[in-house]
Formats: sequence, C-alpha cells, structure tokens
Amino acid sequence: MVPRPPMLQRRFLSTATNHRRRWPVKQVTKANFSEALDQIKNHLGDSDFVAVSLQKTGSFSSPWHRVLPIDTADTAYFKAKYAAERFQVLQFAVCPFSIRASKVIAHPYNFHLFPRDELKIGMPSYSFSCQSSYLTSMAREGFDFNACIYNGISYLSRAQESASKDRIGNPVPSKYVIQSSSALSVADAVFVERIKSRVRHWRNAFKDTSTRAEEALIKSLRKLILGSEEYGSRPCLSIDVCSERQVQLALEMLRDFSDDLVPLLIPTKGGETQAVRVVLTSSKEDKETFERELQNLEDEQNKRVRGFREVIDLISTSQKPVVAHNSLNDFAFIYSKFLSSLPSSMDEFRCSVRLVFPHILDVSHLMKEIGLMKKVTNLPAAISYLKRRFFAPIDMEISHQDDASESKIHGHDVLRISELFAKLCSILKIAPVIDEDENGHLPSVLEDYTNIFNPCSTSSQDHTIDEDVSVWTDNRRKVDSKDLVFLWGFRGGMSARTLKKLLHDSHDVFSEEFDVRLLDKSCAVVAFWNPGLSESFLEAMDSGGISCESLREMISEGLRVATYQTYRRACRLGVLEADLADSLEKALGDADSLSEAHSKESSEIDWDSDLMINLDDL
Amino acid sequence: MKKQWLVRALSETLTLASTTTSSFTRSLCSSTSSSSSSSSSSSFALKNVTKSNFESALSNLRRLVRDADFVSIDLEMTGVTSAPWRDSFEFDRFDIRYLKVKDSAEKFAVVQFGVCPFRWDSSKQSFIAHPHNFYIFPRQEIPVGGPSYEFLCQTTSIDFLAKYQFDFNQCIHEGISYLSRGQQDEALRHLQMRYEDDLSELYLREARDTALVRIADVLFTERMKNRISEWREGLLQSGNSGSKFQESTNDFSQQFQTIFFKMRPALLLNGFTSHQLRLIQLVTVKHFENLVYIRVKGESSSVQQLIVYTESNNDRGLLMKEVKDGLRKEEEMKIEAAVGFRHVIDLLSSEQKLIVGHNCFLDIAHIYSKFLGSLPSTAEEYVSSVHKYFPYIIDTKVLLNANDVLRAMMKKGSTSLSKAFAFLCPEIASSVKGSRLGLKPHVNVEVQVDDMRSSNWNSGAKHEAGYDAFMTGCVFAQVCSHLGFNFKLHPPFTNLTHDEKLQKHINLLYLSWINSDIIDLRTGKQTAESSYNSLKFRYPKIVFSNICLIWGFPSKLKAREIRECISKVFGPSSVSSIYHLDETAVFVQFSKEEYVSVFLELKETLERNNDPISVLHPLSKLLEGGNTRAASYEFYKEICSSSISKVLFADQAESIGIKWKTKLLGENEMASFRNSTDESESGKMNSVIDDLSCSHFLVDETLDSPYPAEAQVSK
Repeated sequence: MVPRPPMLQRRFLSTATNHRRRWPVKQVTKANFSEALDQIKNHLGDSDFVAVSLQKTGSFSSPWHRVLPIDTADTAYFKAKYAAERFQVLQFAVCPFSIRASKVIAHPYNFHLFPRDELKIGMPSYSFSCQSSYLTSMAREGFDFNACIYNGISYLSRAQESASKDRIGNPVPSKYVIQSSSALSVADAVFVERIKSRVRHWRNAFKDTSTRAEEALIKSLRKLILGSEEYGSRPCLSIDVCSERQVQLALEMLRDFSDDLVPLLIPTKGGETQAVRVVLTSSKEDKETFERELQNLEDEQNKRVRGFREVIDLISTSQKPVVAHNSLNDFAFIYSKFLSSLPSSMDEFRCSVRLVFPHILDVSHLMKEIGLMKKVTNLPAAISYLKRRFFAPIDMEISHQDDASESKIHGHDVLRISELFAKLCSILKIAPVIDEDENGHLPSVLEDYTNIFNPCSTSSQDHTIDEDVSVWTDNRRKVDSKDLVFLWGFRGGMSARTLKKLLHDSHDVFSEEFDVRLLDKSCAVVAFWNPGLSESFLEAMDSGGISCESLREMISEGLRVATYQTYRRACRLGVLEADLADSLEKALGDADSLSEAHSKESSEIDWDSDLMINLDDL
Repeated sequence: MKKQWLVRALSETLTLASTTTSSFTRSLCSSTSSSSSSSSSSSFALKNVTKSNFESALSNLRRLVRDADFVSIDLEMTGVTSAPWRDSFEFDRFDIRYLKVKDSAEKFAVVQFGVCPFRWDSSKQSFIAHPHNFYIFPRQEIPVGGPSYEFLCQTTSIDFLAKYQFDFNQCIHEGISYLSRGQQDEALRHLQMRYEDDLSELYLREARDTALVRIADVLFTERMKNRISEWREGLLQSGNSGSKFQESTNDFSQQFQTIFFKMRPALLLNGFTSHQLRLIQLVTVKHFENLVYIRVKGESSSVQQLIVYTESNNDRGLLMKEVKDGLRKEEEMKIEAAVGFRHVIDLLSSEQKLIVGHNCFLDIAHIYSKFLGSLPSTAEEYVSSVHKYFPYIIDTKVLLNANDVLRAMMKKGSTSLSKAFAFLCPEIASSVKGSRLGLKPHVNVEVQVDDMRSSNWNSGAKHEAGYDAFMTGCVFAQVCSHLGFNFKLHPPFTNLTHDEKLQKHINLLYLSWINSDIIDLRTGKQTAESSYNSLKFRYPKIVFSNICLIWGFPSKLKAREIRECISKVFGPSSVSSIYHLDETAVFVQFSKEEYVSVFLELKETLERNNDPISVLHPLSKLLEGGNTRAASYEFYKEICSSSISKVLFADQAESIGIKWKTKLLGENEMASFRNSTDESESGKMNSVIDDLSCSHFLVDETLDSPYPAEAQVSK
C-alpha cells in the first residue's frame, strides 16, 4: 500500500478509538508458525471469506511507474509485474471472516516473512529491492525489522519447490504405481532373485532372534554379516540399485513381504534413486504406526520447505473467496512469490490466477460499483467516506484475545478490508453468505464482481468525495489509444499549459481540439480529440517538420514522439527507467524487430482532465 | 561457485578460533565480555552514532580527525553482488572488474560506517584510537525530485548481518541520512528553479481554478467576505479597531486571530477545513486588493494560513518577497541539514588524512557513489577523481601481501582482517588468556570512547563497522612497525604519508583479490609487480581475445561436454579452458585467437542453413534447443555495464534486448562487406559463404576425423 498521508491516518485512528478498542491481530513468526497454521486451517474452514493484505518493501520507483489513467489492463499488469519481481513482501496479513447480519466475525493473522535461504539452495530470492520511504513509514508505525529478519518465516514458491525437490534429498515413501512389468530379462531375473534371497534371509534372521536372547557381540556380528542397519528404532536393509528399472523390480519383489516390510526410496542429489531401503516392522499395527510416522515426517518436511506458502495453499484449497484491496498488485506479488514466475501477458495471468484462486473480490472495485471514486486509494479514507454517506453499521468481532503484552498493531488493514467489504455488501444489498446448497458457489451477484483486475473501471462518474482530494472540474472523456502520442525532449521545467500553447502554434493538427498532460518531468502525453490527427502529426514529426518552421525548431531542439504502442512495448519489456522519456527511447530502439500486430485489444482509455500525477511530487 | 557474503567475504574467513565468543552478542557486549575477559581488559561499548547524537559526535570527530595521524574506515552494506554472475571471476578483465564494483556500489546501500581516528601519544608511547560506529540509512529527507530512493538487499548478506546481531531497527529508525554532493547541488538547483517561478502564480493558481458549485460554499464565502471586510474596516479606522474587533463572538475570535506578521497586521486562520481555506483564499484574491493570503511555516513546523494587510501594491510586492526569501532560506537550511553523514566524508577529505582500509576498493567506490556523485564509466576516470578527494589511501591487505617478511611470518595464513588482527595484535584480539600464537606487538594501542580509556579494550564485535575499522587501524600500526617505522623516534604526524617505506604501497588497492589485480590510484593503471601476483595458483594464462562467451545452451550440458563438442571440430587441443559463469553461460578460451571468429562464423552458418547437414554437425549438440547464443569477450563488458540484474546470465542477456544469435567479430567490417555484396548478384554472396566454409575446412584438416558434410557445404 502507498504510505498514506499522516493526516488521514490520524483522522482514522481518532475515530477508531472513539468507537472501539484496538483490534488484536495475531502476530506470527517462525516461533509460533506451526501452531498458527493449525489454527488458521480451522478458521478457514469455518469462515465464508478470507481477506488478505500485503506489506511490501516498495511499489513504484518513479511517478510514472504507478498505474496511470492512461494505462490499459495490459500495461497496468506489466507495471504490477515489474514491481512484484523486484520488491519483497515483509508482512502478509490473512483474515478468514464471515458476515452474520451486521456482524463480521474475523480471525486476523499477520505473518512476518523473510526470504531466508533456509535450505541453502539459493532460494526463494537472491536479492530484493527496498524503497527507503516504505521502510521509513513502516518504522514510523513501529515495525520491528529485527524480529522480521531474524524470525520471519521463509517460503518457496510452487515452482521453486518442484525445481529443488531433487536437492533436498530426504527418503520418500514409495508411491509407485506398479505397472504390470514386461518380461524379465535374464539380468533382471538374477537381480530379483539375488535381492529376494537377501531380504528373506535378513527378515528371517530378525524373526528368529526376536524370540531368543542373544549376546551383544553376536548380535552386532550378525548385523554386520546381514548388512542390516537401523532406521529409527527399526531394523532396515539397503538395496543398491543402478536404474529406475531396478527400483521397480525391487518394489515389485517387496510386495511379497508387504505385511511387515516398508520400502523407502533414497534419492541422490541429482534426483534419481540410489537405493531402496527396506524397513522391518514388528507387526501390522507397527507397520501402520510407522507409515503414519513417515507421513508426519513428510508433513514436517513440507512445512520446512514450503514455509509460509502452506498458508497460500490452504487458502487455495479452501476455495474460499479472497477479498483484497488493489487486487492486481497484491496478486501479482502472491503469484510471483508463492506460485511461479509471472506470465508474459495479462490474459495468461488472469487464467492462471483463476485456477488457484477462483474467486477474488476487490473492495476498490466494489467501491466503484456504488457509483463513485476512483480517487480514494486508501482504506481509512474509503471507510470514513462510507461512514459519512451511508448508514451501514458493522460490528467487528475478533476471535483472538487482546494480548496485553502484544503492543504490535500491524496487519490492521486486513480487518479494514473485511469491514469495508461488509459495509459494501450491505450497501449494495448483496447477501454475503455462501449458500450450502450451491456447494460453495458464490451468490451470483458477487460472482459478477470476481476476478476483475482492471485498473480503471469504466462505469463511474466523478464526485468530490473528500475535501482533501483535489476537486475535479472537467468531465472524463474516452480516448482511443491510437489518438495518444507521447512527447519528450522539450525544454525542461515546462508546464503542460505552456507546452500546449507551444504545440498549438507549431502545427496545423493542433488547431483542432487536443489536450496535453505531463506524465513526469520529462515526458507529456497528447490526446487528439479528432481521430486521425495523431497520424498526421507523426508524419509531420517523421518528415522533420517540413513546411512548418516552429515544429522544425522544436525537433531540432530535441523533441521526440512515440505512439501508444511504444509505451506498451516499454511496459512489456520491463524497461521502466526512472524517466519515461528514457524508457520510450529504449523501446523505440527496440521497435524494428518486433511486430506488434497481435495486440489488438481494448484500447479505449478514460481521459482524465486530472491525471493522477501530482506535479509537486516531481 | 563461490558464494560471497559480505564486503570482504572474499578475503575474510569467518574464523572464530582466536576471538572470544563474547564478541558475538553485540548488544550485550559490555556486560558479557566483562565476565569472560581477563581482569586487565576493560569493556565499554564503542561510540555508536545515530540521528540523535550525530551533531555532538560530529563536532568531537572533527577535533579527533584533525589531530589524527591516520583514520581507518570500514563499511557494512546490504549486499555485494546483484546476481551470481556479477561475482568476481578469474576471467574478469581489468575494466570489467571495475564495472562489477560499480554495479555493486550503485545498487546496494551502506548501513554502517566505521571511522576510527588513530593518534600517536608520545607521552604515553602509544596510539590512541577512537572507534566510531555510525548507523546510516538512505532516508529521503527532502524531496529532490526524480526517482525515489531505492536500494537492493542481497538475501544472504542480510541474513549474514542478522547472524552477527546487526540492529536493523537502529539503522532504519535511527540511521543518519545523507545527501551526496551531486544530490545537494541538484536540490539547490531545483529550489532555484522553483523560486524563479512567478510568485503569484505559485500562490494563487489554485484559487483561480476553483469555481463555486455548492450552495453551502456560496453562503460560506459570503459570510467570510463580510468578516474579512469587517476586519479590514476595523484596521482602517485606526485606534479603536482592536477593541471593536474583540467584541465579536467568541467563536469568531478563535477562528480569526489578529497578529502581526512581518510588521503588518494579519489574520491568523484557525480551525478551517482545507476546503474552507481554499474558499477563503478565493474570497481574498477576488475581493480584497490590499489583503494577501499566504501560507507560512509557523513554530512547531505546522503550516499557518494568514491574511495579511498591505498598504499598497508596492508594499504587497515587498511582503511577497520577504515571504519568498524566508521560505527559500528555510528550504536551504533543510537541504543543509539533509547533508547529514556526508559531513564526515567531507571532513576526511578536507583534512587530507591518510585513510586506511582493508581490501577497500569496494568501500571507496561506495563512498564515491553515496557521497560524491555518480560513478564514472571507466576505472581511469574514477581513480583520478578519487585521488583528488582522498590523496592518501592505504590498504592493509595489499600491505600484508606485499611484505615478504610478514608473509613469511604469517606462514600461509590468510590475510583476512580477523586473522591478521589475531596474529598481529594478539593481546587485543584475545583478551581471554590463552595460547599466544601471534607476534608480540611492537606498538601499543589505547582506546578512548568519550571519557573512558583502556589499553586493553575488546568490546567490539566482528563485522560491526566500528570495530572492524579499529582492527584495521591496529593491523596497520603493527605492520608499519614491522616495516621498520619507529613511532617512538619519529612521531608520525605527517610523516606517514611521506615515509619512504610506505610510499611504494600507498594508493595501491586490490581491484580484485581473486586475480590479484592491483590498481594504482595515482595513475589508474594496473600494476604488474610480480611480488603481488605470486601468491595464488593461476589458471593457464588468460588471453581475453581468445575467449568466446556462450550462453543459453541446453541446461544439462556440462563444461566437459562443451569442450568435447568444440574439440571435435577444432581439434583436441583447441580449447585451453572452459569456465562456468553460471549454469546458463560459459567462457571458452581457445588456444588461438582466430578460432573465436571461426567458431562464431561457423555457428552462424549452421543456424542459418538449418539443413540435415547442420543437424549432423558435432556442434549441433551445443546448439540444441535453438537458444544458444555466442559472442566475443567484448559482449561480456556490454552485459556487465547494463543496469539490469537478472539472476541468470541468459536472462540478463535477453533482458538487455539482444536479437541476434551470434555476434560475429568485427561486425562493422562484416556489415559493410555484406552491404556491398547485397547490391551485386547473388553469386557473390555465395562466395562469401564459400569463404567461410573454406576456413572451416582448413581447420578441419587438422582434425583426425573430418566430418563428411564439409565438402557439401562448400559447394
């Protein structure tokens, strides 16, 4: 989340303390992770929804890296991807909740994460970027960086886990589906006979001695001769194998002894099997106990390897609707840290995310549905706005006891999201209950709001929603991306107004209606309201401003132009330099070889008279 | 591949052997070491400096540095290499090594800065050291414009710092921020530009744009108009104005308070919302010519909204100028205050003291990029400008390796800082009694922190910048003495920098410890003194022009297989070495320079033809998958100078946007040659291909098993 202006925060806190005591959020680190995992599993099962919110080390490095009103779904995704691949998540708040009448029953958890290389395999992350302003604002909120770095929970993404499977090297219980094997060759037959007699011999030896008392010396001698080892408290025998074929043969042979022998596969560092270890159990019950032990061991191991991702997997398998704020950014992070590397297009991303999280609800999208505001980007402002406009009282009931020793208040946003969601449902008259009969399907009204990642929905008009947000004067208009061009290389420090005037005098195309906005200090975007004029202008620029003295002069001073396609290419290639001008320049240089023909999709853009760029930031 | 942990991970092993375990618990060091150390050693923490005590520490440090004979430094950073292939390799040429250091210094942040001035006290016949440990953090204190402050963290480095109990909270919450000289100039320029703007534009722009829409706004505006004009009338009827005004309602006087602003009567506005204030501003501008609406910083840095009465247009202009100058002054002071930790660096530079570091090339690069300006693109430029700021730098690691006597004494021991310290200063290093393997120290060192002094101090923790700086200084003092510098006879003062014995080591730094490249800061040249180079086992001599870079090949291919593959075509002794950059890229060093271009051309031909013959070619194993790319060594430089850092080399190459599969040598000549043939008939083009394949043929003649395809290709 964007560090919110202190004024808003202060206001929210004061109203919060008026109405209720401070909400306790369970803080989870390495030390209490196992315990929290069990709890959250139950809570997830009992709840209808789960809210998530992420605290990152940064989000955009330059003003134009933000999602701007000129961004299409595609370019917004590329920007989110760029951020997700660079920055790190330090806190991940998860809150399973249900709504009953006007009450939210919530179970908030805040997980502290750190991408420590627990298994010494160079994962999950070689390095990550931090924006000092983000760290500073976390520090202001009293965040304990030491606790996070020393005791944060690590993780591996699904892709990383499968890539590193072979490097972890623990014994795996054989889960071979034994195929009806083809005819045995002579060598195979010899191999099978040899190990069969060895196993039988070894097994019998133990069966016999178990009844007889023996001297220690003889016992150990016998062990030596039989090649017996111990696996925990149980005796075992290793059978060396040199191929997967032999593994299969050995397992097949061992089926004859399946009432008390359990085979384990010992992997090499390279992922192949180097031996089959046979463990002897004393009885059928003992065998079951042993198999259970193995299962627990595997679970433990998974917990160690997957770390925090277990929580993501739990949310995913629960198939509960996930409620978020700014879902595009958050899910880009979730995808890249816990699932796999981000795909190269928005569509692919949308599809892959849907497979893992079938229902994602975005409160900022729902906010737009009630007919307002694109501008309120932070949660407290949204809540206080709703409070002033609508009557939708919501009670929060938190399951955790307020732990007096825990002064930490991190992860509150996730509760704000739950509260906001409940309010919005009540205002929009959506029944926020999962119907049992529809076996876990969402009410169809809510279904309509799921998995919308578009940065700027097209269905709203503007209001003055908050006194602290600047007043909008003009109406928004739609503009086709074809009619947008990017300009840079003009004199530094020029205002949009001056630039517009300069352009107006420079060429015929500017005698028609057009608009100019600065995107950062070096680059402006021009919207032509009459279709086709952008092409004429591009031609004029290409020709070096022939027959147009003042345009020629501007070109000679370094004026450059690019189309929306170039902008899209810059975003897609991830050349997000500090200055937009530099990125466009690079993307232009890269243009020749790549045909951009395929990108024929929603190119309508809402043109805001007031692009979300605050020139004071620049 | 070697894993680098921290700044000097190359050189420093993490030996715990001779140091006390008490030094590990950093925060508790004063309490624990007092219990574990011998009675003669005293323990007090070194001087930790954060935001809160920076001012006082700085003024003390000014005195200490001025009096010092030398100052040792050490830095802790958030990382060293931004990608595994950015690590230091044997195969790195001089210029590439600089590019790697540059990348590291630009991307990572410095979180701790150790400064330890050493002064010779002739009355005590001992050095006095003052270890300082500064926590620094690149907090953005003033809006400079441009991108936000951002830095990279290498996960292993952060974890390493955590292992040594680094206090991240202290650093982020309390760290001292800084501006480089470049940033300060930029900020001042920015300020200048802003104040050159028309002032009225600055203040009144918003008001003009606002239009009244809501009925409530209109009413409010009307009321305010009356109030303000009432107040103005009151002022004009001099004398009894004050009393009349006070008759107003209580509420009114709370919201409007009459004060004097710059010798003029003014209304201080309280308790309005920002929307209301905007409306008031609008009213003032529209209806009252001699009233000026301004915003100023009041006490306690809150913004005050004022309506000021001016007597004339002239007076109004005067007031505006006063306000403007005031604001500007304030901004300038803010910028001055934001310089922060850089004052320490400026101090070291202006005092022209001898700076002592241990394997400190990267440290100096960090200092340059954080406190001076952006790093130049070549080592030569960089070095000459460093030399201007810090004319005397000495590296204890260079010193230790340069001196045969010392090297012999240290046997084959490593020259890591902690090893050297334990060896040269055993009394300080092991305050716990035990076997004294090291030398008897020739020079005494006392430590002073604030008012506490000790001749047997050991309360630091390894990998804490302040303590590392202290260790470096101690090592330096002992080495000087071993080199024959007698502090007792010749008090050092300025002598050190001009001493004959030190002179030949001064301003020499390891550009890379791995391949013992030493750079001379005075000339920017690589020194080729054999004494520096004899230490390490060397690979067969590296000839950069014989090297070809290959990446993107099938991931299962190992160096041995690549060698086999190439040897089948060029002959068994054609490949002199193969070196993995990472799992996606290798350097292949050929025995002859011409093989590089022949290999690249052959690869290109094979891929262009893509016929059955190419498929059967021995190289096809290497080209499998169609993503194998190759280029000469020069391309490596291009990759290293990119600001992007992908973890895998192949991804990196892709991200900088290459579109070719093979980058031929001398592409310019090739290109012009091709262009000329393009215009002529295709027969000539064929002859080019013939030429290429002929050259392969020649090569293949030296092979024991020439492959049959060759003859057909050349047809």
